[in-house]
Amino acid sequence: MASEMQNSNPTILDTADLPTRLRPSVSSKTTTYGSEFFAAVLPSLMHGTADPLSDYSPFSSDSEGDGELMEEPIDEQEIYDLISTISDPEHPISLGALAVVSLPDISIKSSLSDVPGSPLRTVTVLITPTITHCSLATVIGLGVRVRLEQSLPPRFRVDVRIKEGTHSTAGEVNKQLADKERVAAALENGTLMGVIAKMLETCQ
Amino acid sequence: MTAENAVPLTLLSDLTPPSLERTWLTAPHPVLPLVATCSSDKTVRVYSLTNFHLLSTISGGHKRSVRTCAWKPNISGESVLATGSFDATVGIWRRWDNYEETVGQHRDAADHSYDADGGHDQDEDEEWRFAVLLDGHDSEVKSVSWSASGMLLATCSRDKSIWIWEDLDDGDNNFETVAVMQEHEGDVKCVAWHPTEECLASGSYDDTIRIWREDIDDWGQVSCIRGHEGTVWGVDWEAIENIPSSELVSGQEEAWKQWHALSGPRIASCSHDRTVRIWRRQPRARVSSSAMSGIPSIIRPSGTDETWEEDAVLQKAHVLSIYAVAWSRRTGLLASVGADGRIAVYKERFVAASQTQPMDTNPPTPAGDGTDGTAISHIPTEWKIVAIIDGAHGIYEINHVAWAKRADRGRHGSNDEEVLITTADDGSIKVWSITR
Repeated sequence: MASEMQNSNPTILDTADLPTRLRPSVSSKTTTYGSEFFAAVLPSLMHGTADPLSDYSPFSSDSEGDGELMEEPIDEQEIYDLISTISDPEHPISLGALAVVSLPDISIKSSLSDVPGSPLRTVTVLITPTITHCSLATVIGLGVRVRLEQSLPPRFRVDVRIKEGTHSTAGEVNKQLADKERVAAALENGTLMGVIAKMLETCQ
Repeated sequence: MTAENAVPLTLLSDLTPPSLERTWLTAPHPVLPLVATCSSDKTVRVYSLTNFHLLSTISGGHKRSVRTCAWKPNISGESVLATGSFDATVGIWRRWDNYEETVGQHRDAADHSYDADGGHDQDEDEEWRFAVLLDGHDSEVKSVSWSASGMLLATCSRDKSIWIWEDLDDGDNNFETVAVMQEHEGDVKCVAWHPTEECLASGSYDDTIRIWREDIDDWGQVSCIRGHEGTVWGVDWEAIENIPSSELVSGQEEAWKQWHALSGPRIASCSHDRTVRIWRRQPRARVSSSAMSGIPSIIRPSGTDETWEEDAVLQKAHVLSIYAVAWSRRTGLLASVGADGRIAVYKERFVAASQTQPMDTNPPTPAGDGTDGTAISHIPTEWKIVAIIDGAHGIYEINHVAWAKRADRGRHGSNDEEVLITTADDGSIKVWSITR
């Protein structure tokens, strides 16, 4: 970690103004949110994110628990709630409050556009670093990727990228974050994981 | 994208029990009906291809994920496995060949390869013996490959280097560092040796494929192949004797053989850019003539330099990163797998000259002997997807694909029947039979 902060005076949003489905003292898992109702009324908008689709596999995989079938649909707001509470690596402030992650920069789409019944979904999160030369962008991106991979069912592919025009070496950072092998190796790096674990401490 | 499924691929079996963590790669033994699978749980599992069951688990050698492994070819009586790990080291493991006793297989199945020499002490010989740890890379080892002779081992890493080690075979497990090549500008993701020569191909995070040879005493880069627009995850060589299918156009075989002898085996590569590409070396005779016809000086061949050109971009089969490609040395079929969980199998066949691209101005005349200055035109072929399997491992990404000789019971007779082995993120390994 750099001894001097890269951005000592970031803009901070009031967390009360941030979009969330989380309520104080109510965990997201207990929020029912009328998912069945919406799923019935708006099947096209739900984009099949409800998990019964994971039956799709012609070679049903045992390791994919039946529990997933009962899971509520996963939408952009839920993704936001998973990652907005991650702490910035150099400030005790959440990525949501720093506007590093924001709801409009999260999207969920089918991973295999040419396979209509596929349950695979790609979650794309665009990150806006607080300053354009922030060398911590990779660590923040990795933190977001780790958080989502640990929280989402395995049929989700996580795509974390720097928002276009917000970082001087975005291409380089994006290539690293998209490299499965590098991410896997990073997860086995104790020092790096220590930093990530600290960032994720503030997540529910 | 459609596949005719002209070559039906059907699930034969899973390898059981699987690792419960991500598996990266499954390497078929060069002779015995065995495979070794590398896992994130820091172990290597050895399975039988005769009954698809676990035979051994090699553990205790690596501190992090085992990313890659390769069987040393060209030895008998003993199996030697090289393993590469995220802990930056390469392990060498040895075991006397006596698995056929464990699985109760008839010895006539592969009589030349088994060593049931009763002289070994059984208790000790049951086990894999850790032989030596090759230390040198600064970060994760990504790929290891033995040369055809088994004398040289190439290893590559995120540290951007490729190391070549010589197995001194002195009975003392000594390996000597022969070369360290650092020309790549990013992680070296894969290395693969030429099927017969001491010539190495590598693919990298810098989007290039590079070819390496020894010139007198020094190992060096003889070609840098650009074309992919993303990380090159895998490379594989064509068999020396490969001939495309004549199902559409016949009578090309002789001309093909002549041309192929001059250009040598081709290379298949796969990339994050979602393409599989085939590369071929310019025949040496043609190199000199084309150097005069306006090729920029920077790639003018000199000495051992080779010019490699794109031979084909295969019909698009994948929508996400392609992690592995395998070119069957027996059948010439090519298979690719990747993050989209799909297996694709491709077949190459001769086509009539008129079906090639307009830029191919020379008619496919049978090649001359290569010294009379006449253009040596390659024989036109096309690649066709012959099988596609979506969701081959359910929702999981497939990290590796390999061809192996089919060896399950009752199948010993047919010598060139093959299976395809795929390795996935959930730890599952599947064996697919292919009907021809």
